[in-house]
Amino acid sequence: MTGAAATAKQVATYCYQCVAGPDLLTVRVEDGVALAVEPNFCAAAVHPGAGRVCVKAYGLVQKTYNPHRVLSPMKRTNAKKGRDEEPGFVPISWDEAFDLIAEKLNGIRASGLLDASGYPKVAASFGGGGTPQSYMGTFPAYLAAWGPVDMGFGSGQGVKCYHSEHLYGELWHRAFTVSPDTPSCRYIISLGSNTEASGGVVGVKRHADARIRGLKRVQVEPHLSVTGACSAEWVPIRPKTDAAFLYAVIHVLLHETPRASLDLAFLKGRTASPYLVGAHGYYLRDPASAKPLVWDRVLDRPVPYDTAGAEPALEGSFTAPAIERGADGERLGDGALAGTTAFSRLVAHMSSYTPEWAAEICDVPAATMRRVANEFIAQACVGQTVEIDGMVLPFRPVAITLGKTVNNGWGGYECCWARTVAVSLVGALEVPGGTLGTTVRLNRPMSDRIGSVTPGVDGFMAYPFNPTDREHWSPRPNIRNAYRTLVPLAANGPWSQALGPTHLAWMFLDGTPEGLPAVTFPEIWFVYRTNPAISFWDTAALAEKMSRFPFIVAFAYTRDETNHMADILLPECTDLEGLQLIRIGGTKYVEQFWDEEGFALRQPVVAARGETRDFTDIATELAQRTGLLESYNSAINRGAAGLPLKTERYDFSIDVAKPHSRDEIWDAACRAASAEVTDGAASDGLDWYRTHGFRTRPFTRTDWYLYPALARQGLRFELPYQERLYRVGQELGRRLHERGMTWWDSQLSEYQALPAWKDFPGLWEKAVVAMGARAQDFPFWLVTARSMQYAWGANVGIELIHEVAANVAGHGGVVINGDTAAGLGIAEGDLVEIRTPRRATRGRAVLRQGIRPDTLLMVGQFDHWATPYARDFDVPSMNALVPLSLELTDATGSGADLVRVGLARVGARR
Amino acid sequence: MTRWAMVADLRRCVGCQTCTAACKHANGTPPGVQWRRVLDMETGHYPDVRRAFVPVGCMHCDAPPCRDVCPSTATRKRADGIVTIDYDLCIGCSYCAVACPYQARHKTDRASFAYGGGPSPAEAARFDEGRLAVATKCTFCVDRIDAGLEKGLTPGIDPEATPACVTSCIAGALHFGDVEDPASNVSRLLAENRHFRMHEELGTGPGFYYLWD
Amino acid sequence: MDRIAPWLQTNWDHRAAGNFIGGGTGSGLAIFAAASELAGGNPPRAAYVLAALFIVAGLSLVWLEIGRPWRFLHVFFNPQTSWMTREALIAPPLLIALAAAAWHGGAALAAVAALLALAFVYCQARMLRGSMGIPAWREPLIVPLALATGLAEGAGVLLALAIVAGAAPSRFVLILALLSLVARWIAWAAYCRHLARRGAPTATRQALQAIDLQVLVLGTIAPIALIAAALGFADYAGPIALAAGVLGLAAGWLIKDTILTRAAFNQGFAVPHLARLGAVGSDSSTRPGWS
Ligand SMILES: Nc1nc2c(c(=O)[nH]1)N[C@H]1C(S)=C(S)[C@@H](COP(=O)(O)OP(=O)(O)OC[C@H]3O[C@@H](n4cnc5c(=O)[nH]c(N)nc54)[C@H](O)[C@@H]3O)O[C@H]1N2
Ligand SMILES: Nc1nc2c(c(=O)[nH]1)N[C@H]1C(S)=C(S)[C@@H](COP(=O)(O)OP(=O)(O)OC[C@H]3O[C@@H](n4cnc5c(=O)[nH]c(N)nc54)[C@H](O)[C@@H]3O)O[C@H]1N2
Ligand code: SF4
Ligand code: SF4
Ligand code: SF4
Ligand code: SF4
Ligand code: SF4
Ligand SMILES: [Mo]
Repeated sequence: MTGAAATAKQVATYCYQCVAGPDLLTVRVEDGVALAVEPNFCAAAVHPGAGRVCVKAYGLVQKTYNPHRVLSPMKRTNAKKGRDEEPGFVPISWDEAFDLIAEKLNGIRASGLLDASGYPKVAASFGGGGTPQSYMGTFPAYLAAWGPVDMGFGSGQGVKCYHSEHLYGELWHRAFTVSPDTPSCRYIISLGSNTEASGGVVGVKRHADARIRGLKRVQVEPHLSVTGACSAEWVPIRPKTDAAFLYAVIHVLLHETPRASLDLAFLKGRTASPYLVGAHGYYLRDPASAKPLVWDRVLDRPVPYDTAGAEPALEGSFTAPAIERGADGERLGDGALAGTTAFSRLVAHMSSYTPEWAAEICDVPAATMRRVANEFIAQACVGQTVEIDGMVLPFRPVAITLGKTVNNGWGGYECCWARTVAVSLVGALEVPGGTLGTTVRLNRPMSDRIGSVTPGVDGFMAYPFNPTDREHWSPRPNIRNAYRTLVPLAANGPWSQALGPTHLAWMFLDGTPEGLPAVTFPEIWFVYRTNPAISFWDTAALAEKMSRFPFIVAFAYTRDETNHMADILLPECTDLEGLQLIRIGGTKYVEQFWDEEGFALRQPVVAARGETRDFTDIATELAQRTGLLESYNSAINRGAAGLPLKTERYDFSIDVAKPHSRDEIWDAACRAASAEVTDGAASDGLDWYRTHGFRTRPFTRTDWYLYPALARQGLRFELPYQERLYRVGQELGRRLHERGMTWWDSQLSEYQALPAWKDFPGLWEKAVVAMGARAQDFPFWLVTARSMQYAWGANVGIELIHEVAANVAGHGGVVINGDTAAGLGIAEGDLVEIRTPRRATRGRAVLRQGIRPDTLLMVGQFDHWATPYARDFDVPSMNALVPLSLELTDATGSGADLVRVGLARVGARR
Repeated sequence: MTRWAMVADLRRCVGCQTCTAACKHANGTPPGVQWRRVLDMETGHYPDVRRAFVPVGCMHCDAPPCRDVCPSTATRKRADGIVTIDYDLCIGCSYCAVACPYQARHKTDRASFAYGGGPSPAEAARFDEGRLAVATKCTFCVDRIDAGLEKGLTPGIDPEATPACVTSCIAGALHFGDVEDPASNVSRLLAENRHFRMHEELGTGPGFYYLWD
Repeated sequence: MDRIAPWLQTNWDHRAAGNFIGGGTGSGLAIFAAASELAGGNPPRAAYVLAALFIVAGLSLVWLEIGRPWRFLHVFFNPQTSWMTREALIAPPLLIALAAAAWHGGAALAAVAALLALAFVYCQARMLRGSMGIPAWREPLIVPLALATGLAEGAGVLLALAIVAGAAPSRFVLILALLSLVARWIAWAAYCRHLARRGAPTATRQALQAIDLQVLVLGTIAPIALIAAALGFADYAGPIALAAGVLGLAAGWLIKDTILTRAAFNQGFAVPHLARLGAVGSDSSTRPGWS
């Protein structure tokens, strides 16, 4: 053990290496050297994870001292770019680096920020579900000062991520991410949500407590994941058939159980179930007010949905004097119109989706689905209430969660819809114990989910759809992935670009489809903490496209596959070296909803290594050299550093005329934070946070739930019937067709008011045939899964992580069912080849019983060829195989991380 | 009397290896040496398969075979149940390693560092020549416990006086305390839950209990 | 590799095996030489020298294996419980006695050397039995097996030596050798059966199974037959006995090398009750690598 050191201290900071954070830690520093990561015990009382951090945070010491780090700015000397071209990076001074970049940027400012196609000449990509924002200091202020920037070149996050959930979730219940109310939930149907690997410290802690409390989780997924291991039951479902499973559950709820066991009050009062739907599929509306009609049992006549004292009929067909309005305000009907309640429509729609029907599709016994559905109702406690902070709320301790690959790509809409409908049938949406949204990214304000609940049309929450009407829809996208033109649901906020169909930007570089301005290469591309050349689809093709980007500026921690194509490498201060203040607590990603809210500081634990510079200083320097200092400073004052420096309650704004040091800027931010947390009472600055690390105030649990906010405003959840989406889809189709754009037609078919089951798995088999091969030659599903030890590919270069991850099965190669392998003469450790008609990759066989015989698994995202240390793993990744494909792109613009493959033994074990 | 013991709750453990990493940080063990390790076990045949995560390491046995065989008396057992190794007495014969039925003992003959080559500043600061070519294993963080007790802290309750793996566990699966004290945290856990000790039949009397129901 | 099911211990390699081979053979040789001397025969003095050489060779192999060879004196610190200490304590007087017996001759010295040698193999046998982490070693019947094979090996060497010394082995020695071979087979069979009954890693049992036939046919039946022949045809006794001796010796070394390396799988891990997690259905357990 280390002897008594001259100077020993414990430095508090945060970790936000994965989206399941942020979490709080301390680092033991002796004689200026970081030695050990430890929990932040002082945070145990406020942090739901008891002030602890996960294994990934313990990699930070090695990350800091990683000998492979880029420690000074570098310049590419080999003009040729490509995987096989050695970039020939040579060290340069920061001054030279800034000169080279500023020259380009100033050139662009002089010649115009947009190119001939109307796309921004400057592009920027940041990865990992927005986590880089917690490490890039005031760089967002620089981008804001700059003007139009294309942030739509994808890196997997978004379209490979929780995409459908992000978009539909925000529409239905402000749920960019969805979580069970784990602290009081009793029954969870988890369709591939791999919480025990992906839920972070807070998720793991809460689910562990819940298991002891008696929570039962049914884990439905093709392989027995870490989460399946910690569940009461594992249901090995056939990939991409989850919608059928959920439809069967809804069928049981609607057709095999007494109505009274459903939450009828919730359905009538808080959903659109009683709304009357007309012959053309649109709501019947009150001729005078144009408000949707419900049938009032008291007066036995139709009344607008918001009529006080009305007793809306949940079921039945009625004739009413009404109007029916379609797309573009078309009058489809006027007079005495026949209508059926949305609920009755739902009941009819689900009648054929029996468990027996689903059993065929999912390869799951009907009896299992029936039992799960009945346990779900039994546990729902319909009718019970609970008092929280003096407020009496419904208590519905059941939840349904969807993992990645379930809620993105084709079928994502159906799964998200069915999940949300299923929980709403028992009133378990946004109430204690139930299924909750935990963060907003498309609605505003982002920092206040409850505050984002505002009245919109037809008694629902407002939602910032991109316009689809003739007047406002635009065929001229603001950025290359055309999210505003193609994806109304993507909205148009700061996050929308990254949540658009981000792979289209890459695809269209080599051929823009009819009707869109030709997609161009950005003149400058900034990349930070993302590695599309590894994390995205068809990585070989992607790397090749990157190699044609004229000028890439990569913030670099080590060399990697993306910055292999860069012209300039900029080494920023990383996790334990930089300084930044972020919001913590409240309700954040997935399981991160706290009883506290406030701010935490990331501070230099050790001196910056080599020439590395703090991101804030880099941003300030760029602002100065491109004549943007003033607007950069104002952006910071407005809140680009995480919170406004000036409100009506306080003013710590910085002088916009002059440059400020990192500490000056963050001292102001810290003072503002102190003021916000204490309602103006305190104004402690940077020094206070350096010693205390974080500062919070209580956050009421009632703000975990949307229900009270809707009730207060008399609003309803836009469920189960999707009239608005149907209309939007119709209008979008017209707009596109008016421009002769027919290549998005299959995507348009997703816009259904009541989505029908479609042969989703079949789409992936069709894709094989489309590549000119026979489906039966590619009989396996290849899927992927999270590893708790890895943050995507972000920490693959860290020896400690690689060492301890080896204790968990699957990290060494491709996981294959033992019997399947035996049938193919494959033994443990054998070298196997996994192919699609287009690409092939190789890896070692890892034989397990906990995986479907028709499924292969590749954990994480490896296959690195440039990243030091990781490039020696020789572990395969599905990203080499999954195609970039328009056919496999759904209406929200996402795809899914799975692919049909063939498998063969090619060599013996090492 | 005091008998320090570890309790692992198998219902909580998710195999995240945070404890494994935390131990390596707390004790500066070289690459490949894991005093705390968590097994990923699979049993059964598809589709009836179970997967379980099981923390293992030195069990600090009541009757430690490693101590009985040790020719140098480097391995000893303290009155409080902690089995220790005196690195200055140890001759590195590995007899203890073959005597231990829990595969808990390690021996590293040469200095080794994370990225080959030389040590990082952190590794240089932690390097201890005295731990080369001798037997090493989980110490139950005996230094933390003794230092904590001196300060009047309670091991298992006060983080500073509690083993690093325990305080790091994100699932609250690991507990540490005095099983002789009926009021202690671990005694309560053992009283309220069903538990077992590994390889009980060998009569080593492990100071490491597993909760399972 | 996942290192959950029992895996081959790597703490002790062939060097350790060498110590048990050298120690056992050397002691056995000393005992037999002394026995025949006491029975009035005059075994070659070289036998005592050779016995000492075997033992020294074995010990120096261990010395090469330990991590801190210059602390070897610490090996003497735990006579209370460590059979390794006890082995080390007996080695010096044993070697002295052997030297004396070789130099001076005489039944008395030979007897002393034999007794110390017996104690020495016994310590070695108990060392193995004390290795609780290795099911193949901790088996109690390893003690008689180690003693028996040590004797059989010693007998083998003595038979071989006889002809080197130009004299045919006495009937007495031949009969003792024959008995030692029988005793070893009984000990071996009992060891394997008992180990299987008490339970051992599958891989351990397979490794022992793999040599069972060789031990029986080449290591037992064949040398016994040869010795019988030697008893019958006195004129050819020398060369026949040599062959018998070599076979008996080789079998002993094969047994030890197998038990100490190829069969030395550790305990592995086992979980008698997997966590329930609200699952309905029966309690499950797992013990990978055992059957
Ligand atoms: N096979 C497979 N692929 C996937 C997924 C999957 O499950 N399986 N998941 C997808 C999903 S959901 C997402 S969100 C994406 C995420 O994918 P990305 O957002 O691309 O994230 P990473 O691949 O981790 O890339 C992070 C990069 O940042 C670098 N880096 C790490 N730390 C630092 C630092 O401190 N400073 C700097 N400058 N750089 C740093 C790392 O070297 C790495 O190259 O992956 C997607 N891709
Ligand atoms: N430790 C760690 N945590 C993370 C991350 C990380 O990189 N590391 N990344 C974060 C990010 S950006 C994201 S998006 C989330 C992802 O969080 P999750 O969605 O929980 O993560 P995954 O494990 O990638 O995917 C979940 C499971 O989907 C299953 N699956 C695949 N196809 C299907 C299917 O068709 N049906 C069903 N039912 N299951 C299927 C796989 O078996 C896998 O176990 O994790 C976040 N948390
Ligand atoms: S879950 Fe782990 S990696 Fe993710 S933010 Fe928390 S501590 Fe960091
Ligand atoms: S930290 Fe806790 S949950 Fe994670 S592996 Fe260790 S014991 Fe299990
Ligand atoms: S577990 Fe092994 S090393 Fe630890 S005390 Fe028991 S026998 Fe000794
Ligand atoms: S290696 Fe050290 S501790 Fe182990 S038995 Fe030998 S001397 Fe004792
Ligand atoms: S008790 Fe201490 S030494 Fe033992 S495993 Fe835990 S952290 Fe490591
Ligand atoms: Mo993601």
